[in-house]
Amino acid sequence: MRPLLLLALLALSGCASSQSWGWYVIDPTTPQGWTNVKFLVSGMWATIQISVIAAVLSITIGLLVALPGLSDRWGWRAVNRVYVEFIRAIPLLPMLFWVFYGLPIVFRSMGVNIPIDPFWGAIITLAISDSAFTAEIYRAGIQSIARGQSEAAATVGLSRWQAMRYVILPQAIRRILPPLANQFIYIVKMSAFASVIGMQELTRRANELVVTEYRPLEIYTLLILEYLVLVLIISAGVRWLERRMGADERGR
Amino acid sequence: MSEPAIRLDGVSKYFGDFQVLREVSMRVGTGERVVICGPSGSGKSTVVRCINRLETHEAGVIEVFGREVGNRTTPEALGREIGMVFQQFNLFPHLSVLDNLTLGPMKALGLSRRDAEERAMAYLTRVRIPEQAGKRPGQLSGGQQQRVAIARSLAMEPKVLLFDEPTSALDPEMIAEVLDVMIDLAEDGRTMIVVTHEMGFARKVADQMIFMDAGEIVETGPPAEFFAAPKSKRCQTFLSQILSH
Ligand SMILES: Nc1ncnc2c1ncn2[C@@H]1O[C@H](COP(=O)(O)OP(=O)(O)OP(=O)(O)O)[C@@H](O)[C@H]1O
Ligand SMILES: [Mg+2]
Repeated sequence: MRPLLLLALLALSGCASSQSWGWYVIDPTTPQGWTNVKFLVSGMWATIQISVIAAVLSITIGLLVALPGLSDRWGWRAVNRVYVEFIRAIPLLPMLFWVFYGLPIVFRSMGVNIPIDPFWGAIITLAISDSAFTAEIYRAGIQSIARGQSEAAATVGLSRWQAMRYVILPQAIRRILPPLANQFIYIVKMSAFASVIGMQELTRRANELVVTEYRPLEIYTLLILEYLVLVLIISAGVRWLERRMGADERGR
Repeated sequence: MSEPAIRLDGVSKYFGDFQVLREVSMRVGTGERVVICGPSGSGKSTVVRCINRLETHEAGVIEVFGREVGNRTTPEALGREIGMVFQQFNLFPHLSVLDNLTLGPMKALGLSRRDAEERAMAYLTRVRIPEQAGKRPGQLSGGQQQRVAIARSLAMEPKVLLFDEPTSALDPEMIAEVLDVMIDLAEDGRTMIVVTHEMGFARKVADQMIFMDAGEIVETGPPAEFFAAPKSKRCQTFLSQILSH
């Protein structure tokens, strides 16, 4: 343990050359450092916006994709399977390029002119890509609710949709929520890819500052900490929500 | 005989290659109480579940109040006509007892919350647990839960009530409280089809006994004859086994 610790300390303190640590670049007590920090953190809002909108779309699309997967009809289940298997197979970065550079051409060839900016390009890609996973989470959660529940709902006259809305989903949500929260964390991290199509979010800002300041180590360290803070906030929020729902379940 | 509420004619059903029901025919008059018994796996649950469309059938005719219910009829479409009480209660655990009772009347029958709650309280009183209205099903004993389940199906005011072994999942000391409620309903003149091995209950309320074995109806008759002198060997064996303990 001790030699390892020593080694880490050595690396952190460095030997004061340009090859090692130079925290001045993001030292908020100096005017330049403070400007740099403000520049880096200013990407936070875009990262949050992209992630939240993509997550909301993903949990909506995911539910719409999961429902046909629960049908008795072979054809509906096939729709679900094809979507999930196909979307799940596409790596995020190629999909991002396809959406950002390719989709406008598809639109133009159909005679409509819908420009796709980096912001919406990133959101569409993240939402579609993630929806294959949320769809599977919904399907597993819904299928984990005993068959007797939907049978009982039917015998008191509820349609399949009403049974889903009032009986199945409220119970399934407790099992669905934790894995959905995981997916949200995943989206926040994957939103970093938006930097490659020019979106001014956290990672893009860091990259731009590295180019001018030549201090990748310090800047990327701060970048990682920025994501860490975001993810920890989400985790705390989810745990709070779960506790509330748990209490709701036990009490009256 | 009274007008038939339920009529089955030559109903057969398969699970894959396995024939669960073999040309089952029966007639249940309005206000009549029918008790179905038979060994495990004989197809009792399947018959009951075919009547309210939780299962489909492959051959034969099923009629509810003279209207044929085919394989396109959904169980919810029969919600006003047929109520069902399950062995495992199948209460909605995330809802209060009161909300378990009001959900169907509000969403399927379009009652206002006020009317649905008034109706729910009336039926909870009927099954003798109005004081539990605010609790969750998980906080009740098995016997209380099954009584809530009975009240839940009553709240839809169906013309026929189906029971599939309503006391089999209960501890012995709770069976009586559920049977008492069911006897009470029977005395009201409700049409009931009850799958049960509670022969004391059957003697008391049944107009007609049905004994099933291996997917077919082996013997039927009024309880007096049925218990005193079962004709078939299979029914004799079954009754001697079940009555001996
Ligand atoms: N979904 C199913 N798939 C395949 N076989 C089934 C299915 N449901 C029931 N069966 C079979 O059909 C037969 C009749 O089942 P059913 O549940 O109607 O019997 P039962 O008389 O109600 O028995 P028990 O007293 O155990 O409840 C059994 O052999 C059972 O294994
Ligand atoms: Mg059964």
